Amino acid sequence: MHIPDGFLATPVWAATDVIALPAVAYTARRAQRAFDEARVPLLGVLGAFVFAAQMINFPVGPGTTGHLVGGALLSFTLGPAAASVVMTAILSIQALVFQDGGVLALGANTINMALLGVLAGYLPFALWGGGRFRRLAIFAGGTLSVLVSALAALSELLVSGVKMPLPVLGLSLALFLVSAVLEGAITLAIMEALARIQPGAARAEREFARPGWPRALAMVSLAALVLASVGVLLASAAPDGLERLGEQIGINSKVRTLIHTPLSNYRAAFLHSDALGKAAAGLAGVALVYCACLVVGRMVARSRSL
Amino acid sequence: MRHVVLDRWSRGASAVHRRDPRAKIVPLLALLIAVATADRAVPLLAFELVFVLSAGLWWAGVPVLDALARAALVLPFAASFAAIAWLGGDPARGLSLALKSYVSALAVLFVVSTTPLPALLGGLGAMGAPRFLLEVAQFLYRYLFLLSEEAQRMAGAAAARNASLRSWRGSGERFRAAAGALAVLFARSYTRAADIHRAMLARGFEGRLPTLSSGRFNVADGVFAAISSVLPWALRLVAAGSRQGIS
Repeated sequence: MHIPDGFLATPVWAATDVIALPAVAYTARRAQRAFDEARVPLLGVLGAFVFAAQMINFPVGPGTTGHLVGGALLSFTLGPAAASVVMTAILSIQALVFQDGGVLALGANTINMALLGVLAGYLPFALWGGGRFRRLAIFAGGTLSVLVSALAALSELLVSGVKMPLPVLGLSLALFLVSAVLEGAITLAIMEALARIQPGAARAEREFARPGWPRALAMVSLAALVLASVGVLLASAAPDGLERLGEQIGINSKVRTLIHTPLSNYRAAFLHSDALGKAAAGLAGVALVYCACLVVGRMVARSRSL
Repeated sequence: MRHVVLDRWSRGASAVHRRDPRAKIVPLLALLIAVATADRAVPLLAFELVFVLSAGLWWAGVPVLDALARAALVLPFAASFAAIAWLGGDPARGLSLALKSYVSALAVLFVVSTTPLPALLGGLGAMGAPRFLLEVAQFLYRYLFLLSEEAQRMAGAAAARNASLRSWRGSGERFRAAAGALAVLFARSYTRAADIHRAMLARGFEGRLPTLSSGRFNVADGVFAAISSVLPWALRLVAAGSRQGIS
């Protein structure tokens, strides 16, 4: 899942680096606020633990083993911001010291594993971690963290023009699914063992026990994360119903565009890559709708308070 | 362990080792961008860069063949995608993927094997990387060896108790045992972190790691950074020019 240098197209690595830099700075600041600065050793040592944990193999079948990836486990024990910082530190050390993942691709790898992966691992626990579905939430967190990271990496490679025939793509998806389920099982087994030997180790559990956690927001974020990752792979290039009807009765050729915008036809005109242009337009659209809802919501709230 | 070798290489005293980390980070980025954006004459460019980096490693007193072999760690991943591109009827792209990732890995290795990691992280900090993240990375690297050896001892102890992974029988118990071992390792790491924290507080730690290096960027660093940043782009022009000459 660690993408090396030389694989990603320039717009992809440049865009992911540009997105990752402020995102990492923001999570570092949040983690710094949540953790007293003098407790930095804890984060470093738990990062070293994830490295070390990857040396302990789990039996999966005859002669087959798997190992922990650790993003979800860190998010359950440290909270999402600190877990993202620790995962970013792990990815940086892996890229620099172990030649596992590239330096220019560090932005992409950070987004895939330290940001999307950690968030996807954390959200099921945020939704159901405190109740009777706790075990399911832990398993789903571990599974989703690997699945979302892997799908994001695969999407970036496909957008970059790395050729992958359909059988190879199918095989990759099957392997990712197996790895993801394995991560879920390993994370659940460790959390169960941890609950016996060190009760209360799950920091996130204590935080979610508090009332008022915006459950709907977490659920929407989780759905958006999964859709954003899988969307590039599953999106259909076929026209929608109205466009199809227009094609059939021949009125599409008479359509005139009155105003040209940078995001017309759901594609960012300033990006050459078709897939990247569509992805950028989608993200920009989500951001615009969010801002519009925020402004309208505040106006409504203000008019009610008057 | 394998990465201890890299730590030993980085403690040399050559002229390259003495350069400020920033004077190596900037040319590294220049080289990586030159390689990543190259779309013509990639094999020739890769050959030129491997030659120049090998010469640099020799100048720095780093074992060249060992470094070349170590950079090949990236090849299994790259080779699988290269093979897919090759089989898909695009051998040039397949070769380009493998060569680009190898040269990039060798360039990163050149910088890491001539700069101790704490100094490298300090250089990144001086260039604006979040200090909190860099301190976490520094602690992570410091305790990586210790915890890895502990994990290896635990795996060795399990193997000594005949925890074979070759059959399905008892795999459920072994799965739970491995999870228990990791939970114990987690709890020990947590306790160790608390001990380290207390020990550091006793020595006056207030959240910042002090450094003894001056961090001054001198003229020699500037000259080294300028020449090494321009060199990969010049080599890229030479490779593209010779390709045009051939065609």
